[in-house]
Amino acid sequence: MAHQAHAYHMVDPSPWPLTGAVAALLLTSGTAIWMHFNSLVLMTLGLVLLLLTMYQWWRDIIREGTFQGHHTPPVQKGLRYGMILFITSEVFFFLGFFWAFYHSSLAPTPELGGCWPPTGITTLDPFEVPLLNTAVLLASGVTVTWAHHSIMEGQRKQAIQSLTLTILLGFYFTFLQAMEYFEAPFTIADGVYGSTFFVATGFHGLHVIIGSTFLAVCLLRQVQFHFTSEHHFGFEAAAWYWHFVDVVWLFLYISIYWWGS
Amino acid sequence: VVTLLRKQRIPVLLHRAFSSSARRLRNKVPEAQKLFQEDNGLPVHIKGGTSDVLLYRATMTLTIAGSCYSLYWLLVASMPQRKP
Repeated sequence: MAHQAHAYHMVDPSPWPLTGAVAALLLTSGTAIWMHFNSLVLMTLGLVLLLLTMYQWWRDIIREGTFQGHHTPPVQKGLRYGMILFITSEVFFFLGFFWAFYHSSLAPTPELGGCWPPTGITTLDPFEVPLLNTAVLLASGVTVTWAHHSIMEGQRKQAIQSLTLTILLGFYFTFLQAMEYFEAPFTIADGVYGSTFFVATGFHGLHVIIGSTFLAVCLLRQVQFHFTSEHHFGFEAAAWYWHFVDVVWLFLYISIYWWGS
Repeated sequence: VVTLLRKQRIPVLLHRAFSSSARRLRNKVPEAQKLFQEDNGLPVHIKGGTSDVLLYRATMTLTIAGSCYSLYWLLVASMPQRKP
């Protein structure tokens, strides 16, 4: 049996990049077909294929790292770079929506009444549910740090408890935000205020759901003894992502909810 | 174990067996490590067993079928629309 004389990871051939690319094709063309021909089949097929790809691809990464030992220090360094670059790309994604918000709100047009918030818009009170949401996410930042220290100190039960609490706080935020969406006195169709509000907060909410899912997978892995006190990069990546989601909310809260009200 | 604990004068009651509480969760990572490090030449995406192969086949079937289906819709969308 041939052994490698280096510390890097030469991956086995994998079908998931192909299935993922086809999923992207089906999702995009499927959305177009839905809009023009009123058929949801193609898009749904794309969604199913995307979920199957993500599940199997990430399952394989866990196998390669935790079960096969391929995640040596140089490999882990590469994974760290990768996660940081990905989060940076997401920062730029949100920057675009903040640009759109400030473009419209710093110089409100006559059509809006020359003021921000525009005439006729009843904004949400920033010191009610939005403030609670801020507290919830800040608290979850504390609990995820608690979870990290618990893992590093080999405290299995505390790690499980604090990670569970973090996820519950994430669910609580999502629930509160869903309630706010339902009760809001304005909709996405209410001019540029509605557009900037719901697109920016909507994409943020999606990222909260993604982050909560990532943390939930980490919880399952922690329960199954995957993490050691020295090596738990999957958890660290999830924690970085979670802090990023928290920071985006703080910018949203200050810009749209508070200054914009 | 009990004699050892008594020698250290630690109350035996404070040290019960690991899985004597309601939750019985064994560390199965060593078994998984053995399974996935077996020298059988299988790529990681099907090295787990039969369920891996079934899930792979289902995924690839959807991939190929989906590609054909999107090609079908491409042809439909390329044709002139019949006006009622």
